[in-house]
Amino acid sequence: MKCENYLTNGAYDELIERDGKPRPIATALCDHFSKLGNAELSSRVAAVNAAIMASGITFTVYSEAGNIDRAWPFDVIPRIIDGHEWARVEKGLKQRLCALNHFITDIYNEQRIIRDKIFPFEVLKDSKNFRAACIGVVPRFGVWAHVCGTDLVRHSDGNFYVLEDNLRVPSGVSYMLENRHLMKRLFPEVFGHHRVLPVDDYTAQLHDTLAALSPRPGERPVIAVLTPGIYNSAYFEHSYLAQQMGAELVEGADLVVPEDDCVYMKTIDGLKRVDVIYRRIDDEFLDPEVFRADSTLGVPGLMRAWKSGNVGLANAPGAGVADDKVVYAFVPKMIEYYLGEDPILPNVPSHLCMIDTEMEYVLANLDKLVVKPANESGGYGMLIGPQSTQAEREKFADLIRENPRNYMAQPTLSLSTAPTLCEEGLAPRHLDLRPFVLQSDRLYATKGGLTRVAMRKGSLVVNSSQGGGSKDTWVVEGKS
Amino acid sequence: MLSRVAESLYWMTRNMERAEDTARLINAVTLMSLDMPNGAKFGWDTLVRVAGLDDLFFDQYPEADEASVMRFLIQDESNPSSIMTCIANARENTRTFREVLPWESWEWVNELYLYAKSALPGELDRRNRFEALQGIIRRRQSIVGLLSGTMSGGAAFMFLRIGRNIERADMTSRILDVSHAVILPADTPAGEQYGDLFWMNILKALSAYQMYRRHVSVHARSAQVVDFLLKDALFPRTVAHCLNEVAAILSALPDPGSVLEAVSNTLDMVASSDGEKLVKGGLHEFADRIQLGLIGIDDALRKRYFRLSYPSRQVFGMEE
Repeated sequence: MKCENYLTNGAYDELIERDGKPRPIATALCDHFSKLGNAELSSRVAAVNAAIMASGITFTVYSEAGNIDRAWPFDVIPRIIDGHEWARVEKGLKQRLCALNHFITDIYNEQRIIRDKIFPFEVLKDSKNFRAACIGVVPRFGVWAHVCGTDLVRHSDGNFYVLEDNLRVPSGVSYMLENRHLMKRLFPEVFGHHRVLPVDDYTAQLHDTLAALSPRPGERPVIAVLTPGIYNSAYFEHSYLAQQMGAELVEGADLVVPEDDCVYMKTIDGLKRVDVIYRRIDDEFLDPEVFRADSTLGVPGLMRAWKSGNVGLANAPGAGVADDKVVYAFVPKMIEYYLGEDPILPNVPSHLCMIDTEMEYVLANLDKLVVKPANESGGYGMLIGPQSTQAEREKFADLIRENPRNYMAQPTLSLSTAPTLCEEGLAPRHLDLRPFVLQSDRLYATKGGLTRVAMRKGSLVVNSSQGGGSKDTWVVEGKS
Repeated sequence: MLSRVAESLYWMTRNMERAEDTARLINAVTLMSLDMPNGAKFGWDTLVRVAGLDDLFFDQYPEADEASVMRFLIQDESNPSSIMTCIANARENTRTFREVLPWESWEWVNELYLYAKSALPGELDRRNRFEALQGIIRRRQSIVGLLSGTMSGGAAFMFLRIGRNIERADMTSRILDVSHAVILPADTPAGEQYGDLFWMNILKALSAYQMYRRHVSVHARSAQVVDFLLKDALFPRTVAHCLNEVAAILSALPDPGSVLEAVSNTLDMVASSDGEKLVKGGLHEFADRIQLGLIGIDDALRKRYFRLSYPSRQVFGMEE
């Protein structure tokens, strides 16, 4: 790894300073990779790819018909984050999830935040993810989003900003764990130069977070991971997490809710009670008795069972009401309102098109902004202004005028970069970071998270559904 | 254990075992064809008939020559029992329940699949074919070893073993039937010489030759081999041994009554068979009867464990 002729293009680089020298925290790592030499590095990369093929760490891309999974693109050069910096980020993540859960409880119950005029009723009124079936419910611990994937980006000012909160069925944590596993297997010696904080405890933490939701405390809870099935893009992760937690991996058809309003799974020995379901199915498909009647993925009666308190559901139905790019803009206010604290992690400044003056600003600056629809995920339906064509901008102007509530815009951030092995050798590629945060009777955040890389030169789109890759993420304690 | 997972484990091993056993069958035949006297013919069509696939085969191939039969049995993906299809199915099955198997098993199954993809290309000459199929057998055996060595003996492991033993019994019963494939020229001197060679190869296909010699005889006489493969209580691929295993595993599962009955019916039939009589006539019919018995066991398993109905509860959206 030669770090000399490395141009960072003005973006903040995670490992390399502007003068081309490694940051102090990355010195040992850069030295090590430089000493490896190209031949050795290539052979290690080949070994990584072989290991990925062999272990079948895959990600499904919907458009690739016929071949249902694709090897997970992994870059061997880790991203390093300073432990002191991380401690602050971790606090901010927990603070944010706490406030969001307060908000969801409030929205489905008293709606104080609306009465106090902090949060506009119009936003709620048009929310696609508001579930009337959840009105009046307060789940255990007042927690709806038990698993949150918060997307962070580091701007050229060197600070982390929250890009979005994923509160529905955030995915990617299995890749975070597998990336570490791959690195340890193939570059065991580089760990010797740093004190890298472990990430392996995630599945145990997830297990305990879920177990706390059991309606039958005191007994060993039966936990199930509910998957839409093998053709879902995240199936690998569903089966991975079930295996790591010693939970059952179930599909909708494996579960029934008889008249006693409890959930059972169909086993070789008849029906067996299920206490907690970690569901990886969207709300709309969860229960055909309440939501989409044509859903074959869900379990008829699941909502009855949940509302009667006979089963724990994570994340709770309706949690998505706070996973909305317009609601997002209000999170700093929520933190002040519910917790009486100053937000630790800043939002990216956002322009809500529902406000007339803001909409005018957005329409006048489409070539500079990133426009996002309120309720899409996976990077779909976005406009990246500086990389857009006139025709695309006109299409988005029409979309925004038609439905202003559904759009918000943010300045194009310069996402940070890190050295990445590309066809042309070592080059900077943009990245983001998705830590995973858990809440039930406890609060927990991963040490680091999943670093996603936009593998195409100059690209800012890191979503794995759109061809992004990933890196192992190291939170490193003290001086190396 | 979820019923769906139990069924899928059962089919995963049946597919795996079928792939391995088909590889064994083909290797036995390859060895056999090398030992045959001048003028002897090998009836390749017998092989597809033995596998119960003759209708499907003749739908697609005009003639049962060696190349067509080999392609059909080894890599033809339109054949649900070809080695390639079985391995691909087993891999797909494994993906659906990685959480109940030791983590490495997925890697090993995947590796077997990748190996099969690269080692079983279009045309294989006899030598390469033998080596490639040995590679399949060896990898499959490693997986069996991995599972025995690292898996708790709970329900998941039990259904794996049930599937393995039923498929094994099935293939052993079919392999007896291959004896009809060798057509010796009319002027072959009478005697057991070629018969011995033939049965020796059958035993080798099942890796049973050495054990047979140790425990039964140095001569591979037909009646003795038939008796051995049907009834020997100790060798792990005989019909009786496989079914006794199934019975033993079942006894540890909840309420196995109906399935155990189907197993013991088939076992009784095997116990009362007589090798001497069978080699004189009726071997083919007897193999058919064993296969019907196995189908009965499979059916009983499905009703008892895989597709239960819950008549006592009125449940919306239930099957059956």
